[in-house]
Amino acid sequence: MPSVILRDTNLKGNITEKDSITIDGIVVGEIKAEEVIILENGNITGDITADNNIEAGGQITGDLCSERIHLNNSAKIRGKLSHRNLVVDEGAQLEIVSSTRKKITTNNKE
Amino acid sequence: MFFKSDKKNQDQVRGFSHLGENFRFDGEIDCKGEIEIAGKIKGNVKAKKLRILETGIVKGIVQAEDVEVLGHMVGNIDSKNIYIGNKGVVRGNLHFENNLTVLEGADISGHVQKNKKDKVKRSDTDKVKYLEHNKIAS
Repeated sequence: MPSVILRDTNLKGNITEKDSITIDGIVVGEIKAEEVIILENGNITGDITADNNIEAGGQITGDLCSERIHLNNSAKIRGKLSHRNLVVDEGAQLEIVSSTRKKITTNNKE
Repeated sequence: MFFKSDKKNQDQVRGFSHLGENFRFDGEIDCKGEIEIAGKIKGNVKAKKLRILETGIVKGIVQAEDVEVLGHMVGNIDSKNIYIGNKGVVRGNLHFENNLTVLEGADISGHVQKNKKDKVKRSDTDKVKYLEHNKIAS
């Protein structure tokens, strides 16, 4: 079952999840998952690595790496992106370096 | 006015956080509401209400108001109410304030203690003061 972290929850540390993870709270640390969804109240400080998809709607400081990255209109991102497909919605606030690659290698072991 | 109503909406959180079966986490968790753990957690957990599901494993110190252990727990628990299910395993001390429930089949090894509330302590000190007063008077 996918994980959900609501906005009353703060995590400090590294997260590894084989499934999808939805975050609306504050996370300080690395996140590795199959799919990462950051909601509007989400605040991430740390690198995010996803196999399939990253949906970013909150504030993120750190590098993003995924097959597909979608930055919503409420996103505030600072960091480096590497992806195969990138979608940016109108209104996203960005301070990024982005690079498109043919193959995304995520070291998501286990 | 508008800002106030916004704040109220933000304070209220419906539902609870859920950490799935494949969730691995190393670090601290601080939850102001309810949280459910089905994955592996290493580190201290603070929450209002904590539920460790059957597949859940927590290694660390737990501080909460309500703790429900249906899975594995290694470390001390400090809580108002503790409930341990019939498949619950606890290795560590249990400190509770109000209620401790242990179902048949639960596996516990550790020190179990009921913490006295502040009010009880106060009445005790009052009693001591009263006795001391009597001594001086006599």
